Amino acid sequence: MSTITLSSIPDLTSAVGVPRLAAIEYPLGYLLGQPGDRMGQTAVLRSTLQALAEIREPGSVSHLPFEWPASARRLSARPPKTPPISKYLLRHPWLIPNLFSREVPAPNQSELEPQQAGASAS
Amino acid sequence: MSENLQASRQVDSYRFLDRLTQKLVRSWIELEAQRGRSAEIPWTPLSRPLADSTIALISSAGLALKTDRPFDQEGERQNPWWGDPSYRILPRTATAEDVKLYHLHIHPRVVEQDLNTLLPLQRLLELEDGGEIGRSAAHHYSFMGYTLQPQVLLEQSTPAMIQHMKQDGVNVVVLVPG
Repeated sequence: MSTITLSSIPDLTSAVGVPRLAAIEYPLGYLLGQPGDRMGQTAVLRSTLQALAEIREPGSVSHLPFEWPASARRLSARPPKTPPISKYLLRHPWLIPNLFSREVPAPNQSELEPQQAGASAS
Repeated sequence: MSENLQASRQVDSYRFLDRLTQKLVRSWIELEAQRGRSAEIPWTPLSRPLADSTIALISSAGLALKTDRPFDQEGERQNPWWGDPSYRILPRTATAEDVKLYHLHIHPRVVEQDLNTLLPLQRLLELEDGGEIGRSAAHHYSFMGYTLQPQVLLEQSTPAMIQHMKQDGVNVVVLVPG
């Protein structure tokens, strides 16, 4: 199966080594376009499929030529409630580096203050 | 050697991200660079023209039919380092009325506004009607993109999705992040 990934964060998506990438400068949640914009959504989907057909080299990026309109700048997919990991890290800020390094702490470490964690490890 | 197509306009990866997320993304890119590529980038050439292809969509927005088993939001609330690694199957005719969004990092109203901004099932059917693609696959897929521990997703859910797609004769897959 031939695959292509549509991404608004192409720097990250290409870093993991996807075979084909269609980059688009649209906000998360709206990568195909604005709600109700049937023609705009079709144009993005069509361009993504054309990119899949045209890309010949593994790891290539096709930058799609679409621009998010100023009239839609307030459209946001931000959730109504703070995601659990964000809420958790506000209470456990010493574990923020774990998220940056993707090192998931052991369950018994997660609830400990740093000095306690150090004590339990020694 | 990879290439940049339509490079006259380079997409800015950071334009819509808040400052903390920008920092996080830069950090994860650096991690990938340090890790290096253990293998070559996988590559499957397009086996037949798009007009003869069967196309499946995969969304990482945690979408499921309202009649299907919900994704485990409570598990993530209990352990914020964990995300449900399972997947759900969506029929090609699914609409916003049929689908619920479970991803805790995306506003559920996005689906209520228009499912096609996340998973363009109706747009794909229209390309099928117009003869631009062979057909929209019988089934499409979604999983929860927030997966810091991807082992189960990679070792169980992904092979299962691939198996389903093979049974449906899929030869093209479009992945759409939430």
